[in-house]
Amino acid sequence: MKRSLTPVLVTVGVLAFFYLPVVVLVLNSFNASRFGGEWTGFTFDWYRRLWQAREIWAALGNTLAIAAFATVASTVLGTTAALALDRFRSRLQDAHYLLVYAPLVVPEILMGMSLLLFFVALHLQLGYLTIVLSHVTFCVSYVTMVVLGRLQDFDWDLVEAAQDLGADAWTSARRVVLPLLAPGIAAGALLAFTLSVDDFVITFFVAGPGTTTLPLRIYSMIKHGSPPLINALSTLLLALTVITVWLSQRLLEEKE
Amino acid sequence: MNRTIAWTLAALAAVLGLAGCGKPAPKVLHVYTWADYIKPELVQRFEKENGCTIVIDTFDSNEAMYAKLKAGASGYDVMTPSSYYVAIMSGQGMLLDLDHAKLPNLVNVDTAYLRIALDPTMKHSVPYMLTNTGIAYLKSKVKDPRPTWAMLDRKDLKGRVTMLNDMRETIGAALKFLGYSLNTLDDRQLEQARDVVIRWKANLAKFESEQYKNGLASGEFLLAHGYSGDILQAQKENPDIAFLAPQEGLSISCDDLVILKGSKVVDLAHRFINFLHDPEVAAENSLAISYLCPNSAAYPKLPADFRDNPAVKLDPAVQAKCEVITDLGKDNAKYTRIWDQIKAAP
Repeated sequence: MKRSLTPVLVTVGVLAFFYLPVVVLVLNSFNASRFGGEWTGFTFDWYRRLWQAREIWAALGNTLAIAAFATVASTVLGTTAALALDRFRSRLQDAHYLLVYAPLVVPEILMGMSLLLFFVALHLQLGYLTIVLSHVTFCVSYVTMVVLGRLQDFDWDLVEAAQDLGADAWTSARRVVLPLLAPGIAAGALLAFTLSVDDFVITFFVAGPGTTTLPLRIYSMIKHGSPPLINALSTLLLALTVITVWLSQRLLEEKE
Repeated sequence: MNRTIAWTLAALAAVLGLAGCGKPAPKVLHVYTWADYIKPELVQRFEKENGCTIVIDTFDSNEAMYAKLKAGASGYDVMTPSSYYVAIMSGQGMLLDLDHAKLPNLVNVDTAYLRIALDPTMKHSVPYMLTNTGIAYLKSKVKDPRPTWAMLDRKDLKGRVTMLNDMRETIGAALKFLGYSLNTLDDRQLEQARDVVIRWKANLAKFESEQYKNGLASGEFLLAHGYSGDILQAQKENPDIAFLAPQEGLSISCDDLVILKGSKVVDLAHRFINFLHDPEVAAENSLAISYLCPNSAAYPKLPADFRDNPAVKLDPAVQAKCEVITDLGKDNAKYTRIWDQIKAAP
């Protein structure tokens, strides 16, 4: 039987569609031309200038710090929300689900504007605090959804068995529930981290003086400044991501 | 319950180093501006001389910045919006009246530019950096270049010409070509301009606001209507690119230094604006970021090849015919209608 070529072609096509833009970006970060239309020579110049751009590094620092806080807070809140929604039924169950879903579907611009108006009404100084609070607001929903998914095939009999064997509520939560939910919680946390690092629209509205994050900085640089620095920065972030994923895979393999 | 929330917020704020009433910190000046719009060494120098810290935040469009401030965002001191937004913001009472006694360097500001500026008395804004539109072309390919908008009619360049995909700029170029104001509201003048742009359109490869730089650098386009700042960058890459400032006049735009009402460091903000108009500083800054600071005392300090480039500094006779594009409010619809007709024309 002759094997069809179509699956191979589709795979190659999809891979090219996904990764060719990234390849172009990486190549352009070494391109001497600032417009990237033409190859005018190999250079490390953009990396050298990136190294000296203290505002970009400050923005990266802001972004990572905000993402770390937002991730921790939304993971804790999201996990407990999922447990409560899964374990207990109330007459308002549907309303509770709606409240969790809402931030996933509300347009970002609406959320950003309403959060800004809210913070201004509270006389809260715009800054790190308002950005973290806003990021938690939408990250919680994603964490909750992911953990709820994990809870769908969770066997509560195991918890009862643990309690039969003498575990108190705290021990059974720590030794039984958490380890079983860990992959879901980790996935939710990673999602929250990514969303927080990524967010432009909401952050733009709630950011205050001195809290320009990397996405805000990048948008301004595209309009007014030097895009090649962004190419270089993206390449570094990409390399960092690939190394992290590779390392974590290695670590997991060794464990098994 | 409320107390719990309050305590949680307070704890979070403390963790994030934001506990409002701590020990007196060194003075901080918050600048809200475009990316890469001031030479970093100058910022450090000002910080050292004044014992303060400058925190720079960046925005990417006047519209978004305005929406955010209008909604109540605060904490910024000095900003650099474009002139037409300065007009809107001052109309809304968002800007502080400048204290000229604290700004001795204002005597250096180019009076020829101030004549066409939207705030000629510098009541609440000081011009920071100028750009203008014009025509870029490839020296080796375009024979007999002349500084006039009529270049867009040249049949020998057919299909290798671009104009900005911006209704005010492109209709404005035609209005200037015809000798009218580019802020006109006269229907007859607008219709004449429409016919001119439609005639030019037959010659164009396309209306294009971004890729024309690449097209010029690579030689795909021979002639392009564009912004001087962009063209200056393209020139660094391809020295074959030259710039023409049409003698009929052109659009000029400026970002202005303003102080927001509510600033807590009004004195420091004035000192910063004054610092940026020190002739040495203005020249150094212009050269670093490739825009022209309209400061007459700084002009002689600029290298001749930078100063004499029409993409940097216009001839005074041409500059006198330039205009700043103003916000027309509801009359913008007149331009939109004409622009639609141009886009629909074959």
